[in-house]
Amino acid sequence: MNFSESLFIIGSNTSEQHPVFGTMLRRAIKNRGVKLIVADPRRIDMVDFATMHIRQNPGTDIALLNGLMYIIIEKGWEDKAFIEERCENFDEFKATVMQYPPQKASEITGVPVGQLYQAAEIMATTKPMAVMWAMGITQHIVGVRNVMTLANLQMLLGNMGKPGGGVNPLRGQNNVQGACDMGGLPNVYTAYQNVINDEARLKFARAWGCDEAPRTKEGLQGTSSNGLPSTVGLTVTEMMPGILTEKVRALYIMGENPVTSDPDSAHIRHCLEQIDFLVLQDIFPTETAEFADVLLPGVSFAEKTGTITNTERRVQMVNQAIPEIGQARQDWAITAGIAMKMLEGQVDQPETRFVKMDAPWAKWNYTDSSDIMSEINALTPSYTGITHSRLLKGERLQWPVPALDHPGTPILHTKGFARGKGKFMPIDHVPPPEMPDDAYPTILSTGRVLYHWHGGAMTRRAKGLMEVYPEAMVEVNQDDAVKLGLDGKKRVRVTSRRGSIEALAWVTDRVPPGMVYANFHFPESSANELTIAALDPVSKIPSFKVCAVKVEIVE
Amino acid sequence: MSNNKIKYKPVDLHIQKMAEHHGSSAEATLEVLRDLDTENNLTPENITETARALNIPAHQAYGIATFYSMLSLEQRKKVLRVCDGPVCWLKRAGETRSAIDLAAIQKGDLTVERSSCLGLCDRAPAVLVEEEQAGPVEAEDAIKLCEGWRGTPTDYSKPRPGEKRVMTALIGIVDPDSGDSALKHGVYDGLKKALQQEPIAVLTEVEASGLQGRGGAGFPVGRKWRFVASEKRTPRYIVCNADESEPLIFKDRVLIDTNPHQLIEGMTLGAYATGACEGYIYIRGEYEYQARRLELAIKQAEEKNLLGENILGSGFSFKLHVHRGAGAYICGEETALLESLEGKRGEPRLRPPYPPQAGFRGQPTAVNNVESFCAVPHIIKNGAEWWRNLTDDPTPGTKVYMVLGHVRKPGLFEAPFGLTLRQVIEDFGGGMLPGSHFNFALCGGAAGTIVPPALMENHIDYSSGPLKGVTRDIKVMDKRWTQVISMGAGSFLICDQTVSPVNFLRELLHFFASESCGKCTPCRVGTWRSLQILDQLTAGKSTAGASDELKTLAELMRDSSFCGLGQSVGIPMLSALTHFGAEFARAENEHEPIIRG
Amino acid sequence: MAINITINGKQIEAQAGQTVLQAAQQNGIEIPTLCYHKDLSPSGNCRMCVVEVKGLRFLQAACVAPIYEGMEIQTRNDKVVADRKMTLEMMLANHPQDCITCEVSGECELQDLAYEYKAQAPYWGSKGTRYPVNSDPNPFIRVDMNRCILCRRCVSACAEIQVRNVWGVAHRGFDEQIVAGAGINMLEARCESCGQCVAYCPTGALSNKMNYGAARAHQVKRVTTTCSYCGVGCNFDLLVKKDKVIGVASNANASVNGLALCVKGRYGYDYIHHPERLTAPKVRRYLVDGTVKPKGHHDVTTGQPNPWDWVESDWDTALSFVAKKLKNTRDTFGPDTIGVLTSAKCTNEENYVMNKLARQVIGTNNIDHCARL
Repeated sequence: MNFSESLFIIGSNTSEQHPVFGTMLRRAIKNRGVKLIVADPRRIDMVDFATMHIRQNPGTDIALLNGLMYIIIEKGWEDKAFIEERCENFDEFKATVMQYPPQKASEITGVPVGQLYQAAEIMATTKPMAVMWAMGITQHIVGVRNVMTLANLQMLLGNMGKPGGGVNPLRGQNNVQGACDMGGLPNVYTAYQNVINDEARLKFARAWGCDEAPRTKEGLQGTSSNGLPSTVGLTVTEMMPGILTEKVRALYIMGENPVTSDPDSAHIRHCLEQIDFLVLQDIFPTETAEFADVLLPGVSFAEKTGTITNTERRVQMVNQAIPEIGQARQDWAITAGIAMKMLEGQVDQPETRFVKMDAPWAKWNYTDSSDIMSEINALTPSYTGITHSRLLKGERLQWPVPALDHPGTPILHTKGFARGKGKFMPIDHVPPPEMPDDAYPTILSTGRVLYHWHGGAMTRRAKGLMEVYPEAMVEVNQDDAVKLGLDGKKRVRVTSRRGSIEALAWVTDRVPPGMVYANFHFPESSANELTIAALDPVSKIPSFKVCAVKVEIVE
Repeated sequence: MSNNKIKYKPVDLHIQKMAEHHGSSAEATLEVLRDLDTENNLTPENITETARALNIPAHQAYGIATFYSMLSLEQRKKVLRVCDGPVCWLKRAGETRSAIDLAAIQKGDLTVERSSCLGLCDRAPAVLVEEEQAGPVEAEDAIKLCEGWRGTPTDYSKPRPGEKRVMTALIGIVDPDSGDSALKHGVYDGLKKALQQEPIAVLTEVEASGLQGRGGAGFPVGRKWRFVASEKRTPRYIVCNADESEPLIFKDRVLIDTNPHQLIEGMTLGAYATGACEGYIYIRGEYEYQARRLELAIKQAEEKNLLGENILGSGFSFKLHVHRGAGAYICGEETALLESLEGKRGEPRLRPPYPPQAGFRGQPTAVNNVESFCAVPHIIKNGAEWWRNLTDDPTPGTKVYMVLGHVRKPGLFEAPFGLTLRQVIEDFGGGMLPGSHFNFALCGGAAGTIVPPALMENHIDYSSGPLKGVTRDIKVMDKRWTQVISMGAGSFLICDQTVSPVNFLRELLHFFASESCGKCTPCRVGTWRSLQILDQLTAGKSTAGASDELKTLAELMRDSSFCGLGQSVGIPMLSALTHFGAEFARAENEHEPIIRG
Repeated sequence: MAINITINGKQIEAQAGQTVLQAAQQNGIEIPTLCYHKDLSPSGNCRMCVVEVKGLRFLQAACVAPIYEGMEIQTRNDKVVADRKMTLEMMLANHPQDCITCEVSGECELQDLAYEYKAQAPYWGSKGTRYPVNSDPNPFIRVDMNRCILCRRCVSACAEIQVRNVWGVAHRGFDEQIVAGAGINMLEARCESCGQCVAYCPTGALSNKMNYGAARAHQVKRVTTTCSYCGVGCNFDLLVKKDKVIGVASNANASVNGLALCVKGRYGYDYIHHPERLTAPKVRRYLVDGTVKPKGHHDVTTGQPNPWDWVESDWDTALSFVAKKLKNTRDTFGPDTIGVLTSAKCTNEENYVMNKLARQVIGTNNIDHCARL
């Protein structure tokens, strides 16, 4: 970012979601005169700092980006050398982009043709440009395709693998990067070692004392019941409906609150009511606790030591400042406790699972979290050189850190893409799964606000934050407000095909007419009562950013 | 409570229009706020709207609105500003003020305010009624004043014996509001001649003349212009400092009032010599009449192609603007003036860089005084030699002087450098008033030295100023400050035996405390505390050590302040304490209110 | 380019473009500052850092004075020290004389310098009676302009670090004052409550409201850690007194954020000690009773003992229930009937063990977290 000449923020309310990063962007704009283009249906705060604001219709990002790329190609602004040397599949991609002349892109997106030209010119003439994106890009049924389209744009402009360029996702949670890095996904072990890759599976099977043959699909019949599964598991958005079909019978949840944070809360509640056994490990009795059978008190960040990995792959220490509150226990120790009890007295019989405890990393008797880090170092190539002692000495490490004496890697893809050449992907616009109609004429988009966090379990228990932002507010455009008869004091009822909430209306031009914006920080009026559980077919990310609702005044 | 409830509504249409009228840039802030103030609409809400319309932070607009004394967030009626300056004080402005307060109560449609100094010292006690200058206003004139009477402007058309008029030569001869008259009397001859030459020739001529800046510091004009001309960056700017806000000084007002085209010609010459394409006259807000006169003259000059595009077919273009201040002495400090011109609070800038390197909008800028510009056409027309030969004094040329106070003929005159205080009083001021004998004089301007009769025979010029000469060692300078007569902007306030130096210094500090910008600690608190001590001294309520404390404060302000304002407050203080220490000691010990003065 | 200067008689080689302060600091020579902060553009307005330069008429503010070849500087002679002391006394004259009860006592730059220079509060001055105390309703930031020395670091921090431009300077001379927006309260002036102004304030003019009265600097243990909210990864210090987190303070060594934080990071910490924290394992009564899990709605309060009641338990019991139940499910219905949701709020180590539990012990790849949400 320190080398960028221009910034393109799309689908990221940076100054509210990543406030400190947002201020860094503002500084770049103010101190270095960096040009900013914001593409967002909402007039978010970053617009105050923007050279231009593109206000595309929700769910039309691909059409917008294809339209911009059409202009870039039309004007001959593409980085021909970069495309030639570093990329492939340009012609097929170009054929698709040529289906989006500015007039057509304008019709789909609602962005005037002149603005498209203006934006394309800024992008082509102020390089390098960094693209910043977040959930506004991914939380669509075309989320993955949105991301690919951004990659297309940056390859077209030759902004990939350069300081100040690139596609830069802003990760939401403090350790969403780390949770992914650590194998908290159904398809990969740590460092994205794929579960369907035999070599990776064997490596972990040997390390953890499991059979080398893959676990059979059915699980426990036959000799391979002690292997690691070789098929991809279920995502969270698949697990919930799986409960209804008894595909999923037990859930162990650590520090998550699906009732509030998943789409279509009513459906989630319905699913969880049916579950056979739910263990919830958290610091507060969240909305999900209502459905739990066992509640295990974990600890807050102030009570634990460990590492987390930020959005720029920087691994940093969390250090324990106070003892565990009450009988609360270190989260890793709880998990280890369950594991040890499950392994206790295990017998090597066909009808159950057996782990060979003499394998190098089979054991669970960790003394502290740095013990666990040693195991991570051994099994995770990108984390090999990341140890607590290095971090505590003040070393600043961004993975990959392949060795103890390696200084870390601040920028990826400097010499080439992970897969060799960057592949242009031809991608077409697909309308959102649910569009406004007569019954539900308004578009709802959802997200967070500056003063709260996610399901609100922490921030609703912070006094000052509640003083500033005490209840849910739905952003309603002033023209719509007039039509509804809102005066800034009245509440609105927002209803979708899935549910209904009431909240205070914030009359503002932050949202365009025909659109409302709600957050999910307050369970009593959470936007997720309304959202649709339509998923991106690849990432399984729900379409939080577009669904159809109707808005009424609460008399 | 949440700031999320702030409505994102369109900017108030009326304010939007005002902003557009003034160019919708941050530089227009003061103008828009002045317009709002004129409408009596200067509220926090409207200030915030102004900031939105101009895309600046709200605090910046509010900081400006509360910085300039002519703006007010109070609801006001017709505003009547009574001068509070030391010259008016000497002329018993206190009595005038009481009378006006009474009259205002009777009339009911007036708001009476006090002003640090109106720049009408030759019309003391002076009053500004809205934008109309009035004076002298004695106590008995109060009712008349409320009903439209404005007193009589001073007539300078007749030279005093001994005067040598150059810049003031056309007073009473040229019609200030007629471009034709100006041309007829030879204004713009210098410009016409210059346009036949290369710019470098004009620059060299000004350098050769040895013309020194007339604002007070006496920096050579040619050298300053050379700095600007040698900067590679364009655009370059010419700025005229017409923020004549220092008590005792009113010459620039008279120069503008009597011959505005002379100033325009001088600035155009400056632009030609330095390669500037645009110029600004920063004129204090209290000089609204003079600002309009300048605007009219600019219009006339543009019509005659003496300004604007391709002047007289020479290929040289120069655009000139008038920019009004809104009441702040500090804006006479050139970097504060530039800040104000850019629409900010008039606070001095860090130096370096100096304006010739980075001035207005960060570009190379020459800032000169009105009188400095007015001298240039004559130098170009008659040559540097002629200018140097006007006097034998080390400082070449003539100077517009002012003499005020207890002399028979107070007012303005032009004479070559090299006068003594005795000449100023006796030859040009007509001698002391009957019954008066010379007690002390405040020399240069408010920030000058206070001198006793013993120094009457010293030559006054820039080279003898307190900041010049001998050594730059602080310890040696200490003595020097107090031993000289300040040239400053060339004004001399002559006080007789009825005026106590203690009371007088109190009036000066009252001015400085009102006008300190507040940026640096020594000046902000030092002026305030000094005034407090002097208030106690004059009220007979002083405690022991007051004089010593004053001296320490003066030295601190002089040595540690941020800019020339704070640094120069020490000059009158230290000179008064040195020459009239006994008076201060008496005030400190006697515990009697001082009624003299 | 190297430049030769002399500081206090000592020959020093410095770099062209440096200020006197930078050259001095680089050579271990201390010059006191108040309005200067290395993160902010220097303004030279407090005049604490004045030094005497041979040949120059006035003392120079070291924080803004550029060095030049042959410059001879005195940083601590009698004149300089006397002026600094007097400047401090001018600040003290109008400052409250109540360090004993002031929130920032012990971490106040004005207090430190006043002590070092043996400054006395003069008998004159307002002594901190000019403005209302705690004058802004912002829930996080305590404003007491009586303590303000008009250094303007808050103004610069808001403009240059946060780029929000809430704080500004209004009025002039002795009446000069720091204001939010057009003289209104902070939140209405679009304050984001990031607290950058507090972090940069050298006195108690801006302090943290939430921990007012909670602890003195010397009673506090500081533990550097990483924020638990978003993915930016800001570092800061937790302030701990008697095993309680009483606040958050910026840490200048933070690699991502420097002194900057956001409102949640700086002020959203009090959930840590919230009374609703889970402090003991709990299990449903039916598990303790060993009965079958009843169907129907879960949390019902009937007043009567109910199979859905929460019963506090010890760790061994709770973990045994969990292990037994997971084991049974695995062995009866297959490992893939168990799902594990790990957490993007937990550490790498914690996520790693969840991944290991799912794959090694349970034998399923059904593990996920809310990366998608």
